Amino acid sequence: MKSILKSKEMSIALIIVMLSIVLSFISPVFFTFENITDILKGNAVLGILAIGMTLVIITGGIDVSVAAVTTAVIVILGKILVFLPDSPISIVLMFIIAPLIGVILGALNGMLVSKIQIPAIVVTLGTMSMINGIILYITNGQYLNSTSFPKIFVKFANFEIFGISILIILFALISIGAWYLLKYTVIGREVLAIGGNKESSIRAGINFDKVQIFVYGFMGLLAGVAAIAQLSYTKAVDPNGLLGFEMQVIAAVVLGGANIMGGRGTIIGTFLGVLLLGIMQNGLILAHIDVFWQKVVVGAIILLAVTFDQIQYKRSKDKLAKIEVEA
Amino acid sequence: MSKYILQMNHISKTFPGVKALDNVKLEIEPGEVHALIGENGAGKSTLIKILAGIYDADPGAEFYFEGREADIKKPIDATLKGISIIYQDLSLFPNLSVAENIFIGRDSNSNSLKKVNWKHIEEIAESALKELDVQIDLNLPVEKLSIAQQQLIEIARALAFEAKLIVMDEPTSSLSAGEVEKLYKVINNLKQKGISIIFVSHKLKELFTVSDRFTVLRDGKYVGTYESKELNEDKLINLMVGRQVLYEKNKGGIQIGQTVFEVKCLSKEGNFKDISFELKQGEVIGITGLMGSGRTELAQAIFGINTPVTGEIKINGESVTIKSSEDAVKKGIAYIPESRKTQGLILEQSIINNISLPVLKTLRNAFGLISRKKEVDLANHYIKTLDVRPALPNLKTGKMSGGNQQKVVIGKWLSTKPKLLIIDEPTNGIDIGAKTEIHKLLRKLASEGMGVIVISSELPEVLAVSDRIIVMRHGRIAGELAIEEATQENIMNYALLGSKVSKENKNQGKGKVIVESGVSM
Repeated sequence: MKSILKSKEMSIALIIVMLSIVLSFISPVFFTFENITDILKGNAVLGILAIGMTLVIITGGIDVSVAAVTTAVIVILGKILVFLPDSPISIVLMFIIAPLIGVILGALNGMLVSKIQIPAIVVTLGTMSMINGIILYITNGQYLNSTSFPKIFVKFANFEIFGISILIILFALISIGAWYLLKYTVIGREVLAIGGNKESSIRAGINFDKVQIFVYGFMGLLAGVAAIAQLSYTKAVDPNGLLGFEMQVIAAVVLGGANIMGGRGTIIGTFLGVLLLGIMQNGLILAHIDVFWQKVVVGAIILLAVTFDQIQYKRSKDKLAKIEVEA
Repeated sequence: MSKYILQMNHISKTFPGVKALDNVKLEIEPGEVHALIGENGAGKSTLIKILAGIYDADPGAEFYFEGREADIKKPIDATLKGISIIYQDLSLFPNLSVAENIFIGRDSNSNSLKKVNWKHIEEIAESALKELDVQIDLNLPVEKLSIAQQQLIEIARALAFEAKLIVMDEPTSSLSAGEVEKLYKVINNLKQKGISIIFVSHKLKELFTVSDRFTVLRDGKYVGTYESKELNEDKLINLMVGRQVLYEKNKGGIQIGQTVFEVKCLSKEGNFKDISFELKQGEVIGITGLMGSGRTELAQAIFGINTPVTGEIKINGESVTIKSSEDAVKKGIAYIPESRKTQGLILEQSIINNISLPVLKTLRNAFGLISRKKEVDLANHYIKTLDVRPALPNLKTGKMSGGNQQKVVIGKWLSTKPKLLIIDEPTNGIDIGAKTEIHKLLRKLASEGMGVIVISSELPEVLAVSDRIIVMRHGRIAGELAIEEATQENIMNYALLGSKVSKENKNQGKGKVIVESGVSM
């Protein structure tokens, strides 16, 4: 019990609660059902990507190509949707095609990282640039709206259960699935193990390459799902809509307590990290603070959170290093 | 069926340019503790790595485990067959729980999406810990445990895999004396269960305490296998090096001058307390003590990287405050840390760039740019005076032997013209010939007027290099000995018991752990 109270997740949750209290004083709108679901819906794409990024970061890697991969899937979906019939089959097809393309692109990252052993940041910077270039070539940077999409797509995008958007439900299902994967499957434990100690994991018979290809593939899969969510949310294909979005994704994961050096990170933490980012942005809007300041505030909070974390880590290390001095 | 559980014959291993092992043999009986011994570079770790499945032996090797040809291709194959290796740096996952660390590896061949059975994991971990008779919270992440506890987790892990042979590589190197005793108990307990143990260590006394038989390697070759009874330390050392080695004790009686360095009542909460000593011109002070006695912490405090401290530090009679390593360097203090490769050198860079690093500012030319010529001259000067080999200023330091790397580190700090040189474990991981050279060098620096403090856990080294020896225990000075009266025995007594004469010493039988003659603490 004590360890739960002292955990990182708890401190993030506490910050969220305090922030919410302040915000509900600033604006009566904040604590309404509509506003809360708006926050969740608006950050579903961020959340889905952050869940995938959590696994990558736990292994000590990073994927800066997520936004590019997501956009690529969106563009391809846009091209295909135009030809699809107005029937539920189209939605099913969309849910097959998008994750599939995502997995292929993600696994490509994973292959390069594990087999050729190029550092993840270099690999994903490279693939990001290539994908972005190809997207611009194909779309000419042009915005495409959903008027020519089958009607069933718009119905799907607006679908709600008890007033909760399908996007929130997608995010929730993925969070639960990823949590289960990390806690209860062999591959999930292996993800944590290789992040904790690479050398030891090889000694313990863990297939290092397989785990890496898996995490980047999984990241790609979720980028495919995030593409569906983004397309549903904006109801348009915007080749530039997610430019630079990878930074927010990484920020949410780090805010959620994952260690960028690997070994540490939880789904609950990331979920809270996403929520915190979302509430902050929402709060700044409600408080009529210029949107440009949002980035400054987000950056400052990340630095604060990481500093706090590092100080705590140092303290606990000092504690272990103590020598019993004779009185 | 042979009487051996493990038989390795005609084991050779060639790396590009080096024959690391040449026709080596190792035979282990069930339920014995077998010491594998040899100098650094004798081939012990290569042999262990072949046993572990990390390296393949050259063709022609015979490798049988439990009477059958051992088909070990990957580390996990060895583990699953019942060979567990406990490496010196341990193979644990700091972020995972105790239970999971004990269990890990069993699922590595199963379906990736298989559900993890946490109850089963905890049961296995619990029974393994019970077998060892230790109690550790199963849910604690391993990073919260002490090194001794972590080692027990590794042993528990071996038991959970039903190991029949456990290899322990330098298992006592980071343990306190009390913890070592406990480890011996555990080893005895494993022996009773019929488990064989290969024990790799440099501490001779320790090996005689635990081992039944010895296999000695020298320069990658097999020297022989001996019963513990037929050997003593001198014989063993002879076998290891092929010659009598222990370096000579320093004679003392040097001319000493004024006090150059002095600390008075130096204390740091949780590190050390009331440390006072003086260093006179021309003499070398040796500071020794067990792991965790506060010796390194003291050195780092003097150098300003372990602050704040209370008390007084005087250089040439003048009181100084040192708040950072920058202060220390300005005041003429140089500190050479224990881990040469991570803290002392930039391995990817040349001798020149390493030596010039602390004094780059003084090597500028008229335009304020660094003069390559001055850099090269400086490096050449120290290569010559310290006899660095090979004498190639452009060589990457990562490619040099340990002894020569250490000389480069010393050169690097000499370039700052320090008044006081503190050197921590100066010959760690260096072969014996080079050790003597480093000792001579340190004595020479002192005779030329530099204050030298040597921190070492290797008693023969402390005796070979110091004029005065300070023994620390639990963060305090337990005793100070002039070289004339110092022996390994009385140093050890101060370090372990805090007094000169131990109660046990008088009627101590052979095989006790108290006095570690020959090698390190």
